Amino acid sequence: MPERNVCIIGGGMSQWGVREASILDMAQEAAKECFDEVPALKKEDIDGLLFASSYCGRSAFQVNIAPVIAERLGIKPTSMCTRVDTLCAGGSAGIILATGLIKAGLADVVMVGGGEKLYTPQRWETYYSELASIDHDWDGAQGMGLPPPFFSMTAQEHMKHYGTTKEQLAAVSVKNRRNGSNNLKGHFHKEVTLEEVMSARPIVPPLSLFDCTPITDGCAAVLLTYEEKAKELTDRPLVYVRGAAQASLHSMSMNWPGEHLGDWAHLRAAAKRAYETARVGPDDIDVAETHDCFTISEIVEMEDLGFCKKGEGGPFVESGQNDFGGKIPVNTDGGLLSCGHPFGATGIRQAREMLYQLQGRAIRQVEGAEIGLTHNLSGLNVEHTMLIYGREP
Amino acid sequence: MPVPGVPILEGLYPSTLDLYPFEAKEFNRIHPFYENLKQKRFTTTRCKKCGSAPFPPRVVCPKCNSEDLEWVDLPTEGKVLDITEEVAGVPLGFESPLIHARIDLGEGRKLISRVINCKEGQLKEGDTVRLAVFEIPPMIVEKKGGVMEEVERTFFAFEPIK
Repeated sequence: MPERNVCIIGGGMSQWGVREASILDMAQEAAKECFDEVPALKKEDIDGLLFASSYCGRSAFQVNIAPVIAERLGIKPTSMCTRVDTLCAGGSAGIILATGLIKAGLADVVMVGGGEKLYTPQRWETYYSELASIDHDWDGAQGMGLPPPFFSMTAQEHMKHYGTTKEQLAAVSVKNRRNGSNNLKGHFHKEVTLEEVMSARPIVPPLSLFDCTPITDGCAAVLLTYEEKAKELTDRPLVYVRGAAQASLHSMSMNWPGEHLGDWAHLRAAAKRAYETARVGPDDIDVAETHDCFTISEIVEMEDLGFCKKGEGGPFVESGQNDFGGKIPVNTDGGLLSCGHPFGATGIRQAREMLYQLQGRAIRQVEGAEIGLTHNLSGLNVEHTMLIYGREP
Repeated sequence: MPVPGVPILEGLYPSTLDLYPFEAKEFNRIHPFYENLKQKRFTTTRCKKCGSAPFPPRVVCPKCNSEDLEWVDLPTEGKVLDITEEVAGVPLGFESPLIHARIDLGEGRKLISRVINCKEGQLKEGDTVRLAVFEIPPMIVEKKGGVMEEVERTFFAFEPIK
């Protein structure tokens, strides 16, 4: 069978935030919005389910969650029904895997869902489980947890090498909270001022409250199929998965692959391959969703994704080059800083935003967007995952 | 004391909630690392065939696939590159501020470690820190006939040289 072109045809999100709901409840909410987007689709048409969740094994005492989700959604996969665990990039990994399955003819219509119920009945367990989300025996046992201390060091080293300032970090938060203010599915809807970000309570200096993504419950889902089937199922403009890559060059923090912590060699490795597979370069990208788990992350990403020169990420974001009207609008739906970050759901939220942007129906639309990029990093910055979507295959 | 919500756990060891590694020899093949640590030695494995000495220790050389490895000592002192003092969101088992440093041990090894025996604001870039070994709670290993054995454990951080 010749390779098939793969399209994303629908996307949905549950409400994100501090939810009085289980992961199974939120998966149903997200899938419903996704089903409602493609009324011509019958549930029997869906032959595959990939569900991205990393914490379900700890916070819901449920491993192998995919068949549980499939049953609750009323779908009966016959090609693939599997959980994906890449922490913060699980959703994107699921989309890449689904693309490969559909391209190869091993699956026809695949739902990629994902999400987390991160708030446990007692809060200590949420933070405690974070010690399992990095290289446990070495970094976890040092209390590194999810990465605030690590990204504080990243910010410090970027400041030392390139003169990046706390005001430049804050500019990322102001923009993303503004972009997310009318995205009602996200966690936060209130804008913040530069002064509020600068004077917020410290988490791990120089990072303070608004430099960090919150802990958020939520799920998201998208539907993927091959081009011909997509034309049958939807009248909307087609959005293709053009290229993708995931790079992992180390795990334990001691084996960091860059020259210093502000130098993300593994992101450049993923970007090189993603651009090659999509046959585009950074100058061709019209809109991007990048992994702003911390404000410093978006700054380094602008550099290592090739949107600006190495070391110039600070001035780039301060002058609004990553905003509407700038060189490349980034995190147009609010990103992690505004939407929150229920790990397995994040890449799917980004895919949904790309679907809307490339179909011209985003809440904050980038006029004429034809090629979009999404990016995630995972855990203690040990993996980088990218997808490139386009109006052409 | 019974465990709230799960009273059946009273007196049992919930190992999936153990923040530290399963150091007992029954549960890993790199237990000499932990035995050396008790002697205040910071060690890893070196391949006798190709000389590669990665960290963490291995049971098979990741470079040449040889299983002929030996234990070698790593530096136990290093220079501080960055310091972080975490004041919010500190995981259970650690006190606020939770201090970490990225430490240059030489030989191209830059380790991120917790820093203990250190006051907030005390540590500066360029300071020398040294390995600090401390006791952690024993793990429980179920032996034949249901006999529960306590296996003593230590772990490491770094500390300022006063």
